[in-house]
Parts: sequence; structure tokens; C-alpha cells
Amino acid sequence: MNQETQVLDHIVCPFCGCLCDDIRLEVKGNQITSNELGCAISKAKFLSHHEDRITPTIRKNGTHVEVSLNEAIERAVEILAAAKRPLVYGLSSTENDAHREAYKIAETTGGVVDNTSSVCHGPTILGVQESGEAAGSLAEVKHRADTVIYWGSNPQFAHPRHISRYVRVEGEYIKDPKADRRIWVFDIRKTITANMADEFVKIAPGKDLELIGALRARVRGHPLEVDEVAGLSMKQLTEIVEALKATKYGILFFGLGLTQSTGRHRNIDAAIRLVQDLNSFGKWNMMPMRGHFNVAGANKTSTWQTGYPFAVDYARGYPRYQPGEYTSVDVLSRGEADAMLNIAADPAAHFPRQAVKHMATIPVINIDPKRNMTSLIAEVNIPAALAGIECDGAAARMDGLPLYLKKVIDPPDGVLPDRDVLRMIHDKLKKVVG
Amino acid sequence: MTGNIILKNARVYDPTNKIDGEIMDISMSDGKIVDRFEGKAREIDVKGRVVMAGGVDMHSHIVGSKLGFGRSMCPEDHRKDPVPKTKATRGGVGYTMPNSYVIGYRYSAMGYTTAIEPALPALKGLGSWEELEDVPNLDSGLLPLFCNSMITFNYVKEKDISGLAGYIAWILRKVGGLGVKVVCPGGTYAWAHGSNIRELDTEVPDWGITPREIIRGLCQATEALGLPHMMHLHPLNLGRVGNVKTTIEHLDAIKDIKGHNGRKHICHLTHMSFETLAMHEDEKAKPDWKWVSSGGLEFAEYVNKNDHFTVDMGQITFGPATTMTGDGPFQYTLYQMTKNKWANICVDVEMPGGAGVVPYYFDPKSPANAVQWTIPLEFALSVNDVWRVIMTTDHPNAGPFTKYPLVISWLMSKKQRDTWMEKLHKFATERSTLKDIDREWNLYEIAISTRAAPAKIMGLPNKGHLGVGADADVTVYDLDPNKVNLADDPERIIKVFGQSYLTFMRGQQVAKKGIVGKTPHGKVWSVHAELNDSLWNRINKELEDMMNRWYAHSFHNYPVPERYREHMEKAILVDSTGVAA
Repeated sequence: MNQETQVLDHIVCPFCGCLCDDIRLEVKGNQITSNELGCAISKAKFLSHHEDRITPTIRKNGTHVEVSLNEAIERAVEILAAAKRPLVYGLSSTENDAHREAYKIAETTGGVVDNTSSVCHGPTILGVQESGEAAGSLAEVKHRADTVIYWGSNPQFAHPRHISRYVRVEGEYIKDPKADRRIWVFDIRKTITANMADEFVKIAPGKDLELIGALRARVRGHPLEVDEVAGLSMKQLTEIVEALKATKYGILFFGLGLTQSTGRHRNIDAAIRLVQDLNSFGKWNMMPMRGHFNVAGANKTSTWQTGYPFAVDYARGYPRYQPGEYTSVDVLSRGEADAMLNIAADPAAHFPRQAVKHMATIPVINIDPKRNMTSLIAEVNIPAALAGIECDGAAARMDGLPLYLKKVIDPPDGVLPDRDVLRMIHDKLKKVVG
Repeated sequence: MTGNIILKNARVYDPTNKIDGEIMDISMSDGKIVDRFEGKAREIDVKGRVVMAGGVDMHSHIVGSKLGFGRSMCPEDHRKDPVPKTKATRGGVGYTMPNSYVIGYRYSAMGYTTAIEPALPALKGLGSWEELEDVPNLDSGLLPLFCNSMITFNYVKEKDISGLAGYIAWILRKVGGLGVKVVCPGGTYAWAHGSNIRELDTEVPDWGITPREIIRGLCQATEALGLPHMMHLHPLNLGRVGNVKTTIEHLDAIKDIKGHNGRKHICHLTHMSFETLAMHEDEKAKPDWKWVSSGGLEFAEYVNKNDHFTVDMGQITFGPATTMTGDGPFQYTLYQMTKNKWANICVDVEMPGGAGVVPYYFDPKSPANAVQWTIPLEFALSVNDVWRVIMTTDHPNAGPFTKYPLVISWLMSKKQRDTWMEKLHKFATERSTLKDIDREWNLYEIAISTRAAPAKIMGLPNKGHLGVGADADVTVYDLDPNKVNLADDPERIIKVFGQSYLTFMRGQQVAKKGIVGKTPHGKVWSVHAELNDSLWNRINKELEDMMNRWYAHSFHNYPVPERYREHMEKAILVDSTGVAA
């Protein structure tokens, strides 16, 4: 093995929806020894990739027993072949080729396939289906935006380089990012991002929809006969409206504080309408702050292959879409799924109690590089290579830009990419269920 | 490889080889049309049925981010048209925006074997290649957009045609593109400022250049490189009453540009139905929809007098459609008019600008839609040279490609046009000459417009005909033209062209009576224009600088990696080393 240190440039970081593609890595032998330019999370992801790995296991008499990869796959096929209503879930932390195999499995077994957006930006998609979306791009923000809003989003924690790469940086037509560009934070508490913003607007919890509605009314010139909205005085409201209307190029970044708080998709629908209305004054776009590095890709692959972005049911031999019915949490909470194939996600850690309770009663096949809550309750664990570190693939940035993830080092012995594991499962399934 | 097949007693319509309904045998071997082969063959007696080359659609939105955006935004669209899986095919959805598999199946069932995606945002090339992986039964190609990119503007401003040509060659090679697409040149860029450009000589904001200079530059660069497909143009001022004038100005503006090696056509004007709206003659007339009239005849007269371009129809078909273009400002206008949901996608057209998506319903009772319907028909039936008129619906903009049989019935049957005109708003007869046109296209003309001509215009010499050496893409239609007068029986036209009797792709039977039985993957055609070393080196250096400055990702991560392309790509090599550095 080559023991000399190799320097790799322009590496794409497979952690969050920013997909920063300027990472410089040093690799010695089969180990990553340094990550330059990456944020703290990126450093941890690359430098600790070999820690907490899982191995193939099958649960026997209540304990996890180590088995060969083939045995684990055989068991997974048995479970899926016997299932009447399998649920295929996850996909947002793996690359696009793996998604294709997952949809095939859902179609072959007549199951439901869903990705993690059903518990993050699913409401965003519902809002878009109601009203459309003036979708932004990060390049345009960098070069043109004079007003940047973060609403219900704390990028300094969740997307640490978002501001330094795209916002507090010189652009072609924004020469001084401090003087020519104003950052606004709308949130229910003063976050670390709010501390560095030019303006912070503190919203009463659960009042986002009310505030967006009021802003929209004022932007359209309708009077409001109230003293305050969402904890803001009318004077504050007027100041905000004037700033929005005076903007030449505005961008609304929004996070789970808007999608998953009271109102959910109604919040997004209202925000979309506000941004559409603002296009009568200046140029305005918006962008969801996507969390997992390829959750945007999961929506895209699902859309071109099934027609729908998430919550897809193949029970009738063709894809049907019904969020609230075929979304994973609902399928589990109703006690409907009788087996679950989880790929590159940790539903046991993130789903509501009722859904996790049902997961504990059905066989769960878990494909993931690392130990997590789901691996603890899984019937079958199958290890996978880390996409973007140990295998290549494609992913989509939060603004939809596709980027190619490189393979930097080899995965542990015998560990395959998600797509290969899923293909093996599907090939065997085809023989059993046709 | 595929075995030998011989189609006996085929009534062949192959305009490229000037065959007009002769009875003959067609032989296929190893994926090609041959005149003889060794060994045994599967003999199929098609008993005098019509045989043509596989259909070639040169302008259909079958992959890409705007289509994905439209699909995702409109689940109500797919819900009406579920497509169950079969032993041979995957499940999916249809309607105006089928999923990728169903696009391939439905084209195949109609006898089409090639479809070109005409609007690729080059920086999203990787995503389109990933999608093409899931589009079976079709050969394809991608036309990257060059018209609102700051890199194009930079070279145009410098009057550096070599640099522009180098940039085009670099993009085509690095993302696997087939030709140069131009959409609303400069206007979509202005959309980043919330405005639009409607006139050729209006300055583009920030740049001090004009759309006239942009289209001239791109046209000259395309001809300098000698790309097989000429500049593919969607002009400024789309969808505005009276815009036939603007469109003719565009075509006049490039008329003097010399074609590569003396070729006549230097431009393809796409979806003319949206670009040739005239204004009704009335002293009160203003450019709004109330005063729309058909510019189809006026434009046909221009085409008959000027020979430097070709045209596709973008025929409006009535019913639901989904409009999607790289013309962001037009889509915003349409949104304001309809108040339907509106998506804008600004990363789509290189750095600035914006594509848009708006669902739309073409209503027979709408005066504007009724006039729009007459335009491409009036045009197509008034043009002398059918080789310059391609039948399309700009899928899914003016209607889905599955409406082609209906469009063919309008072209072939005056009776059918009259029947439809009765159902339309009276403007269809008052603001157009269509009702007075008796011409009916024959099968030979249909074969020109749906395969021979588009293949020629796209620069695909192995497509669109049945000569020896052509790809064995062959369609048999369930029709003996001696037994039926199609013009009198439009329902029969729709039936015949709605489902092929047999479709062969590269010598393999893929569909029979509209049922898809095999799902091979086609090839994706691209152009590799070889530059001399000094231009290639110069371009790499300049692009690295500009892309790293203007994009939000690295120059090094721009190309589409080979692993997504090599198993599908068929690069056409072009010697462009003569372009000076």
C-alpha cells in the first residue's frame, strides 16, 4: 500500500446540504490524515469515518449474532419476500445510484418507499405543490443578494459554512458583503446565527404563519387593524415590510423552524406566496436549508423514477402518492408495515415514539455504515461503505446542483456500497417473488 | 447482438432515399439496415403495411431539472394516469409529465426511437445523464444552453468568436452535449434583475451588449466549429401578441452568416407557434391578447423567401399542458396572467437567470388559445418545403408528445380541421386563414416531418431513414394506404399513429401493437469538437478563472464524469482544429 501522503483537492463533503466542494484532504495509506477548509462537522466525518462501524449481524434469540454478508442478505430477502406491506425508508445520506435500487425493491415487493424529507422538508414540498416556488441558487445569492433572510434556521450550527461560502463573501455585484448585504434572522430565540446577523426578529412561538400572513397583507398594501402581530409591534412590522419592498435581490432561506412548527406546510405555502408577491417589487427567491447531504437528491431521484418526490406506495403495481398516508411515520404509527428496510438513516432515533414502538415489533433490515439507534433494534444489520468517502456517487446540493462525490479511500474489507448491497437483495428477491 | 430480421412486403416511406410508398423488403442485421446478410433471418410478412424509419423528436423535454420540478410540483397531474408494471416494464405515471421509464415506453409504443432534450443547463449535466439512464427505448441527446451565461457574454463583449467557440466545444465535451441552444438571449439574464428584454437591440444589464450580438456570436461560433446541428433558437418576446415581427428580426439578424462548408441552414427556430403571433388589423389594436391573430401565413411567406433556417411547430393540442422554459421572465408573465402555481429555477441557466414552470390548460373556448392553435397549422400547410417544418408539441409545453397522432390528423385531414374548428372560439376562423386552406399532408410528407428532416437537422446521419448502414430503427404502422383514404377518416389516422404495429430499435423488436415487450437502452448522441492545442489550453485556463469566480462550485467539479456517460454516449467527432486560437 502506498504510504506516501497524497493531497486531494476539490473534494465534495458528504455531510450537509451545502455539499462544499473545496475540501482538501491528505490521505496516507488508507487513512485520511487531514481535512483542510472543512467545518468541524466535515472534519469529524472524514477523519472519524472508520469509527463505530457495524458488521453483518442477524438477531437470534434476542441477540445480534455475527454472520457473513451473504447470510445477512439471504435473511433480508426472506423478510422482504414474506412481507405483505414492507416499508423502504431513508436514502438521504447515500448517493443517487443506491436510490434506484431501493425503488426497484419497493416496486418488486409492492411496498412503500419514502425518504427522510417526510420528517424534514416534506411540508416544503406540500407547499410547493400548492403554490409553486421561486427557487434560488447559491451562486446567484453570492453575487446578487442584498437581503438575506434565515427563517427558523440556524446555519452556524447546522450548516456551518453556509454563511462564509455564500453570504458573508464578496460577489460579482456585491463588492462589500457587510455594507451591501443585510442578513436578517427570524426565529423564536436569539440563536448563534442571530448574534451575527444585522437584524434579528424575535417571533412569538407558533406564530410564524400569522406573521407571514401579516407581512403579505402589508406588502399588498392592505391595512391591519391590530396592535401587534406574533409579538411584533406594527412599527416593527412596517419597518420589515419597507425593507422587503426596497430589496433589489432577496433570498429567503428557511429551516425546520418553519416547516415543522405549528402550521407546517401552511407556513411554507404562505412564505411562497409572500416571495411570489415580492417579485412585483424586486427579485426574490427562496431555498429550503436541506439537512442531510443528499436529501435533495432523494427527492429528485424519486421524482424522475416514480413521478413523486416522497411517500410513494407500489401496492397496486404502480406508484401512488399520499403524504400523511404513505409517509413512513404514518405507515408505522398505524401499525401497517410488517417489515422495514432502512437505508442510510436512523429512524429509531428520530421518529415519534409510536412509530418506533411499532418498529420494535417488526423485522427491520438496517443498511448503514455506522452503529446507531436503528442498528440496535434491527433484525438484520448490513454494513455499507460511506458514500463520498469510501465509494463514489452523485448527490444534489440544497439548490439542486448535482455534484459528483469521489471515492477517497477503500471501505473496510468486505464492505460494499449501498447500491451493491441493494442490488444483491433485489436480484435475489426477483427470483423469489418475480 | 440482435439477429437478422427481414420485413417482407413493406410499403416503404423513406424520403431521405426518395422512396414514396414502394413495396419492398427491409433487412436488418446487427442493429443496422443492410442489403444482404449471411445466415438465417426471422421473416415477418407485413403485408403491405406502411413502414418508416423510427420517429425522431428533435424537441421534447424528457429530462432535466425543470421537468423534475414540474413533476414534483404537480402530483395531481400524474394521479390521472397510473401505469402498472408488466413483466417487461416498470410501473409509473403518465399524463403531461410521465416518469422517465414511461416516457421511453410511450414513445416506443408510438413508433418513435429518438428524442432530443432541447434545454440542458450545462452545470446540471450530471443530473440529466443520471436521468437518461432511466429512459429506455430511445436514443437521445442534450442541447446545453449558452444564451444567458456570463461566460458567453464575456466573449461576446470581447468580440472573441474563437473564445466563444472554444467555450462551446469545452462544454459539449465535458457535459456530453449535442449542440447549441439559445433561449431568450439576454432576457433571462435580465430576469436576475427582475426584468426582461424584448428587443434585439436593448442592452443586457451589467454587460453593455445586445441580444443581436449574442445570437450573432453564438451562430458564428457554431458555424466556425462546424457542429452538426445549427444554433437552436427560442427568440426574445415569446408569447406576446405581434411577436412575429420580433422573430423575423432575429432571423434577419443572422441571415448573412455563412454556413459551415456552405451549408444552407444556420439556425433552427423552435416552437414557432409561440413566436409568430400577429396583431389583428384594427386601428385600436394593441399588443394584448384581445387583438391576437395568426402570424402563421406571414411567417410561411417569410420561410418561402428565406432559406437559412428550419422550424418546428410546437403545436397546441388543447387540454392540459405544463409549460417549462429557460425563459424565466415569460413564465412569470404567464403566472401573473393565470395565477396558476409558478416555479422559478434560477440555477438553471448557468449562473444567472431562471427557468420557470407553470401548469397550463389550453382551452378550445379561449379566443387566444383558438388562434394559437391555428398558427402552426396555417404555417405548416403554407410552407413549400416540408423538409423545413418539423412536427412537435414542444412536449409538455403545448401538450404532451402522446398527442402527436392528433396533430398528424390535423395535418393530413381538412375534414378533421373543420370538425375541430367548429368546437373552437370563433377567432379560430376570424383571425386566421386556416379554414381556407385545403392542403393535406400525405404519408411521404409525414415521414419527412417526423423522421427524415429532424434527423438531418440534428446531424444524425444514421437516423430517420432506411438506407443501408442506417441504424435499424424501424416502425411498421397498421395501415395499407391503398385500402383507406386517411383524409376522410381522421379517427383512423389517430389510431394508426397512436400505436405502431411493430417498433424496432437497432434491429430489436421493442413494441408490438402498442405493447412494449423489450426495454433496451439507447445511445446518447454528443459532439466532440476537436480544437487545436493552443485554443484548448487557452480555454481551459480562461474557464477555470471565470467558473471559479462566477459559480458556487469548482471548475474541477463541473464535468460529468465518464462513468455516467461511457456506456451510453456516442460522440460524433468534428474536426474544429481550424478555429484560430
